[in-house]
Amino acid sequence: MNAEHTRFPGFDVPAQHRHWDPVTAGVVLGRMSNVRDFRFFTPEEQAVAAVLCDRLLGQRGDDRIAVAAMIDARLAEAQTDGWRYADLPEDGQAWRATLAALQDDARRAHGQDFARCSEKEQDELIQAVQDLGTRRWHGMPAGRVWSLWTRYACTAFYAHPDIWSEIGFPGPAYPRGYKNIGVDRRDPFEVRDARPDEDPLR
Amino acid sequence: MSTVRDRNASAWLLPNDGSRTNHRLRADMRRFDDTDEVDLVVVGCGAGGSVLTQRLARGGWRVAALDAGPFWDPDRDWVSDEAGSHHLYWTEPRVIDGTDPVPLGSNNSGRGVGGSMVHYAGYTPRFHPSDFETYTRDRVGADWPLSYRNLRPYYEAIEQELPVAGERWPWGDPHTYPHRPHPVGGNGEIFLRGARAAGITAKVGPVAIANGRFGNRPHCIYRGFCLQGCKVNAKASPLITHIPDALAHGAEVRADSMVTRIEVDQRTGLATGVHYVRDGITRFQRARMVAVAGYSIETPRLLLNSASARFPDGLCNDFDQVGRYLMVQGAPQTAGRFDAEIRMYKAPPPEVSTEQFYETDPARPYKRGFSIQTVSPLPITWAEHVAAQGHWGDNLRRYMSDYVHWSCLGALCEFLPRPDNRVTLADEKDRHGLPVAKFSYSQGDNDRQLMRAAQQVMEDILHAAGAGEVITIQRYAHLVGGARMAADPRHGVVDADCRTFAVPNLYITDGSVLPTQGSANPALTIMAVAARAADRLRGSNR
Repeated sequence: MNAEHTRFPGFDVPAQHRHWDPVTAGVVLGRMSNVRDFRFFTPEEQAVAAVLCDRLLGQRGDDRIAVAAMIDARLAEAQTDGWRYADLPEDGQAWRATLAALQDDARRAHGQDFARCSEKEQDELIQAVQDLGTRRWHGMPAGRVWSLWTRYACTAFYAHPDIWSEIGFPGPAYPRGYKNIGVDRRDPFEVRDARPDEDPLR
Repeated sequence: MSTVRDRNASAWLLPNDGSRTNHRLRADMRRFDDTDEVDLVVVGCGAGGSVLTQRLARGGWRVAALDAGPFWDPDRDWVSDEAGSHHLYWTEPRVIDGTDPVPLGSNNSGRGVGGSMVHYAGYTPRFHPSDFETYTRDRVGADWPLSYRNLRPYYEAIEQELPVAGERWPWGDPHTYPHRPHPVGGNGEIFLRGARAAGITAKVGPVAIANGRFGNRPHCIYRGFCLQGCKVNAKASPLITHIPDALAHGAEVRADSMVTRIEVDQRTGLATGVHYVRDGITRFQRARMVAVAGYSIETPRLLLNSASARFPDGLCNDFDQVGRYLMVQGAPQTAGRFDAEIRMYKAPPPEVSTEQFYETDPARPYKRGFSIQTVSPLPITWAEHVAAQGHWGDNLRRYMSDYVHWSCLGALCEFLPRPDNRVTLADEKDRHGLPVAKFSYSQGDNDRQLMRAAQQVMEDILHAAGAGEVITIQRYAHLVGGARMAADPRHGVVDADCRTFAVPNLYITDGSVLPTQGSANPALTIMAVAARAADRLRGSNR
């Protein structure tokens, strides 16, 4: 986690769980467990995936969301998005192939495993894939590899209730719903942005 | 016309005790044996299949409606959460190809009783009269074998049954809606404000969410999770708008039953029933008539997988029409940044729309047009929008922490039907051993021009409302076509009544029969076409 947690001071989404219906609460609170068993990735793939996801999501420190483990769980269950590109294998195989390719890039460029490279080196290796755009990377369409990584990583990360606190989103809204809708209107359990002029472009 | 309840009592058959499912009605449901020759077996309980089932059950037909997915209970099966709603989508393997491949799954493919309307936003605009004759008017697309006038009474009937809320509608064939427009949230307010300042007419609606109680369906609570299945029973889907009434009139809904093949008697040329798999066991349901309503990917796939000696290239595919002219709408989504808090996750995502740019404008270099609507992505979909700008790492986190300040609009651009945009069978097989669908899609020049024009209008609206930065993601929305209706078998798979040209007792009653798509969300039109087909069946046959 870390980074932008202070825009919504005191906003704590998981603390609101008593207002959620029990089925939703079960699903959402289950994501907060730190118990993570890897069943899909090999240890080598796990090491690359964990660092890749943390770099994609700007995660540092001890309280990181276990994004790679959440992706592993999806792939172990073959919980795909319901399609694959004709020029990429199905998602599980595509993950294995792309993690191996990233490891390969690290060993060629820096003579060591991706996970042991410095953050700067890791970021450069990742950026190089994004920069390829529609060109090929290890025989795969780089843009679609990028889409695979960010799609799975963002789906896991922005499903986590602690991250909702970071962005001001109250999460589950049943059966409570909202009463104050409209521009600059908040319900009592929502927290005003303390830094509203923090436009990322300014 | 009789009252809604006299025609369709679904909303009154739901419980009014705070739960969402009438378990007694389901437990008491009529059940046919595989060996019973039912009057009609329907394949798929989405927008088209459910309306057909309800109408014919009312007409005294013995109808069994099979669906590959579950018979949902909103209390038990649905959550107020984005990632936890993954099981609402059809996620069996499929391959996408072409120069502009279209993602499926959560984008456009539902499963279970209620179909894609379980997770659609809830917009239910009518098509315009021009949509039924784009070839005559503009020499693009195709003319339907029926006109807007043929469909109008069915539009009106379905709008009452859902019911639809919205302002008086000035576009297409001007009309009113049975329910008053809903109040708008931050995102709708920005759209209305920006449109007014930019000189564009925008209206609240049309949304298939009752404004007030409707039967035993409660009022919307504006929680913003329309796309995750409505736990409230406020947003319309066939699960609550047509299936309860169908059950009360003796139809059977057989869930978790994947139809794998339509059987045709090689001697008579008539369909005799469907092969399906339930609980791992292969079965055969006999039927006097078959209606396929599996939507634009699975309907063509089922026909192609039902090849036989008489139909070596796929059922009803004598003229190589099955799977072709599959359409999606270009759906660029443009967001604008405001210092004020918009909090677009509050209130239903479908709020406000404009159809001012829907028709061909002779002053423009392209044909046909687009509509613009509020879309209000929740965090995961919003992250996709932000990541599409190239942001990752700390930069992505910074953008995402700004979520409450963004307003988001989406366009629906009328992409034209093309024969090579189609479903074929891939080499790959699913867990039933059946070849999976391969969907190939490529855009044309007119399509690309529409996308650019729509993005420009959305940027203008957001800037006029006071936005700082604007960012856009290129997306697709909806599916229609793939087994289109036509005047003759060389140009389509079914006639105006949804009857296949090749097999007289085989019907297709879903979005795949639409020859054009306009810039409208397709659910209402799919229902109206199915309701009309049901009327024709009741009048002619049996």
